Amino acid sequence: MATQQSDSSFAWNRIALYATLGLLVAFYLSPLESAIMTAFKTQTGFFETSPLVPPTPSTFTLDAWGQAFNRLQGGLVNSLLFTIPATLLSATLGSLVAYGLTNTNWRGQAFVLVLLIAGIFIPYQSVLVPLSRFWSVVDPATIFSWLPPVANRSGLVALAVTHTAYGVPITTLLFRAHYKSLDSSMLEAARLDGASIAKIYRRIILPLSIPMFAVTLIYQFTNIWNDLLFALVLIQQPSNDVVTISLTALQGSMVSQYNLQMAGAFITALPTLLVYILFGEQFAEGVAGGGA
Amino acid sequence: MAELQLDNITKTFDDGGDEIVAVDDVSIDIQDGEFLVLVGPSGCGKSTTLRTIAGLETITDGAIRLGGEVINDKRPQDRDTAMVFQSYALYPHMTVRENMSFGLEESTDLPDDEIRERVTDTAEMMGIAELLDRKPGELSGGQQQRVALGRAIVRNPAAFLMDEPLANLDAKLRAQMRTELQRLQENLDVTTVYVTHDQTEAMTMGDRIAILDDGELQQVGTPLECYHEPSNLFVAGFIGEPSMNTFEAHTDGDRLVAERFEYALSERHEDAIDGDNVVFGIRPEDVEVGSDPDDSHTYEVVVDVVEPKGDENYVHMAFDADRENPETFTATIGGLRRVEAGDTVVVRFPPEAVHLFDGDTGEAVLNRSLDTVEDVEPLL
Amino acid sequence: MRSRILRVLGASDEDDPETAEPDVRTDGGTTSDAAAASGETSRLGQWLDSEFAKSLPFWLPATLLVGLFVYGAIGWNFLISLTDWQGLRQPTYESLDFEMYTRFFDSVFAGGLLSGPQEYWALRNTFVLLVVFTVAALAVGLLLAILVDRDIRFENTFRTIYLLPMSLSFVVTAIFWAWMYNPESGLINQTLGAVGLGSLAQQWISDPQYKLFAVMFALVWQFSGYAMVVYLAGLRAIPSDQYEAAKVDGASLLKMYWRVIVPQLRASTTSAAVVLMVFALKAFDFLYVMFGTRPGPSADILAMMMYRESFGTTNWAYGSAIAMILFALALGVIAPYLYLQFKRGEL
Repeated sequence: MATQQSDSSFAWNRIALYATLGLLVAFYLSPLESAIMTAFKTQTGFFETSPLVPPTPSTFTLDAWGQAFNRLQGGLVNSLLFTIPATLLSATLGSLVAYGLTNTNWRGQAFVLVLLIAGIFIPYQSVLVPLSRFWSVVDPATIFSWLPPVANRSGLVALAVTHTAYGVPITTLLFRAHYKSLDSSMLEAARLDGASIAKIYRRIILPLSIPMFAVTLIYQFTNIWNDLLFALVLIQQPSNDVVTISLTALQGSMVSQYNLQMAGAFITALPTLLVYILFGEQFAEGVAGGGA
Repeated sequence: MAELQLDNITKTFDDGGDEIVAVDDVSIDIQDGEFLVLVGPSGCGKSTTLRTIAGLETITDGAIRLGGEVINDKRPQDRDTAMVFQSYALYPHMTVRENMSFGLEESTDLPDDEIRERVTDTAEMMGIAELLDRKPGELSGGQQQRVALGRAIVRNPAAFLMDEPLANLDAKLRAQMRTELQRLQENLDVTTVYVTHDQTEAMTMGDRIAILDDGELQQVGTPLECYHEPSNLFVAGFIGEPSMNTFEAHTDGDRLVAERFEYALSERHEDAIDGDNVVFGIRPEDVEVGSDPDDSHTYEVVVDVVEPKGDENYVHMAFDADRENPETFTATIGGLRRVEAGDTVVVRFPPEAVHLFDGDTGEAVLNRSLDTVEDVEPLL
Repeated sequence: MRSRILRVLGASDEDDPETAEPDVRTDGGTTSDAAAASGETSRLGQWLDSEFAKSLPFWLPATLLVGLFVYGAIGWNFLISLTDWQGLRQPTYESLDFEMYTRFFDSVFAGGLLSGPQEYWALRNTFVLLVVFTVAALAVGLLLAILVDRDIRFENTFRTIYLLPMSLSFVVTAIFWAWMYNPESGLINQTLGAVGLGSLAQQWISDPQYKLFAVMFALVWQFSGYAMVVYLAGLRAIPSDQYEAAKVDGASLLKMYWRVIVPQLRASTTSAAVVLMVFALKAFDFLYVMFGTRPGPSADILAMMMYRESFGTTNWAYGSAIAMILFALALGVIAPYLYLQFKRGEL
């Protein structure tokens, strides 16, 4: 956007601009830098050297990573087990709902949409008590008692369903923005060509939704993986602990083992960090489109 | 192949309790194989009319018949019509071949090889055979336009419905596609309803044109009928570029008194006039510029602005050049004749070229005489 | 009004079909009205043939799920807040009253001293967080957006880095910042010492004076990237002509942004502010990891207090009442925003 300036102040302006940007990069990355350096240090290392300085050979250790991974691996598996189905389900349902409420025509769509979209902004505290009641009445362990692998992970089933339900509003909003931008005469052409509502979805809308699915899946994966609150309330057995809970527990029990805490934090963040580094564009699009 | 009849069709929308009449009691009979252009300013109801024929809108009242059969309660895909959209409405993720096959796959039981054959034949006819494996995004605007047409043609419908299909092309391509589309329609001989807001397109393409304003049908006729014999002030003003000059006036004996000039009426004029208020109209090309001041029906006027077009000049002139905002009228003169702003010239309004409209209703009471129409002798 | 919302949402069956915009809405052609006019099909047949019926399978199941989990739960929560349910027994819904709410507000108005009731502090801190955090995150986000928008090289890299904290869990960022704030070995105090400002070093997260500030600082770090993304989209929507026009008019860079550009970002500001406020109301996870369920009066917030009352001390009814107050706060932020969005047709 900047227009070129011919005078010599231009060069100085640019230098100041890049210096500011660089300082901000340092600020935004410093917590990560201090954490990653600490994670590779021994106890004496991180207490006696600056958190920004890399470990010396005498203070270098991988122990923290090994220990943290041991503590968290169960949580990592559990988190994947409920995050992946909840992500896929909420994205798919969001796409269907957005299509049903955007590209077909009947009265009352607005009302349904308002209710759905308002759901994005609900503070989860206002549903916590009923939610814990609900999942103790409708106990997945009882429902799936015939299928022990599922029954043993009843907390994860509850989490997956809950996250799907609270994910649908945001995925609907994301898909809706995309479907609204589609050429409506293209959909009319498809109708004149004789395609039914379901056929139009399958043959026209779905193939055109692939980029939006990428955005939605990435956004939802990050959101659901990162959640702590629902897990705190819905997970009863330690065997079902998800990774955010395991990490909280690790932090609580290893109060001054900062290297262990930092390694654990990185291990917990790794899946979302990877997704972010690979698909940053899509994540940004999801953030801009959905916010919460 | 069938004739298409619109019988008193009316379409109203409900706008929060207010009823908006988009199409008001429109009746048009479109002959088998005819090219009818629906034209009017934006908001006049022409697109809505077309969409009711396609089945994308329901009609509130009236009937639509295609080949004698009432179709307005059929589903859009069962109506045997095909539509071409302004945006082309191609499916961006499908190849040209898939785009053209889609309708046949969804609405007919034709076997795959037959569909393939029909698509190939149509593509060859449209000159897009080599594009069949490309996707719309890789095509130019003109090529996409052809694919959109091909997609309609391949379905072999009883009627084509086209909604401003050339509006997104650049001016040069548009002129070229205009003739091509006309030729194509003539060869296929399929009843066609074509919607446009562009009166040039309407004039040059239609067998007949139907002019709509505010949901109401103003006139249906051949392009020349609508040009020379407009049924009312709206049509007179809408068809023709630059528009017809009109002046509000009232009769005073055998004279017509307008705000800035008086006009001696002939017997033919007087016979036609009924009532005091009259609108006096004359087309810019009928205004004779540089007449002998001693002739009848001549006026001294001042040239306000000249717009040279090369082949001709649009000359805007005023009776009352001294005023701050002079009321101007327009004359067209040959491109090689020169006048300049500020010149005083003599103009003549020839009596045979005068249009008269009822000042209250706007209905035409007298159109220009066509006695002087000449035929160009064919050379043989 | 209803019809305007309908139109704005693109859901209406009325339209102005002549507008050249591609988004021509239609009544669908084959609605049940059409079938009714023909009188040929049965009532059920018409209904099954209508777009409404055909669209049901797409949206109804998920909408029911959301309805149950969001609105059903909120309704139930409200009901619970009217009871006096506590402890490990089952709730009874016989005597319903607003006692929990009066208890809350009585405490709030009785408060004010450091030793005062938790209700007062939780409510006060929630408001402080809501306002200060939101304003700070917006300001930093705007600054980032303007810098990134200055036609720089590696723009994507810079943007990716500034947005990165947002992809991290509160649990992770809270652990990072607890270490950053460590009084002896933490980066903050170490850096302050290194640049000769050692006197400014504080017990950031144990000194009640700085606790809430420290939390907000970390939250701004985490969410200013979000504000940046929203502002960037807003900046990109302003035609570059305007930058040039302002320049031709002789405006300095600062003046240009302040008088020409920033006023046009009002819509971005509103939507970013709403979302940031919702984040602030949800800041529970961060506080929970940093301080546990008892952050003390200086950093307690309603969301934390609700969790503590319900799941810590099993005062279910009281917790639910606090949750309803939190919900009302959120509604106060969101309802006007959604209403405006509808009016502008931006949903």
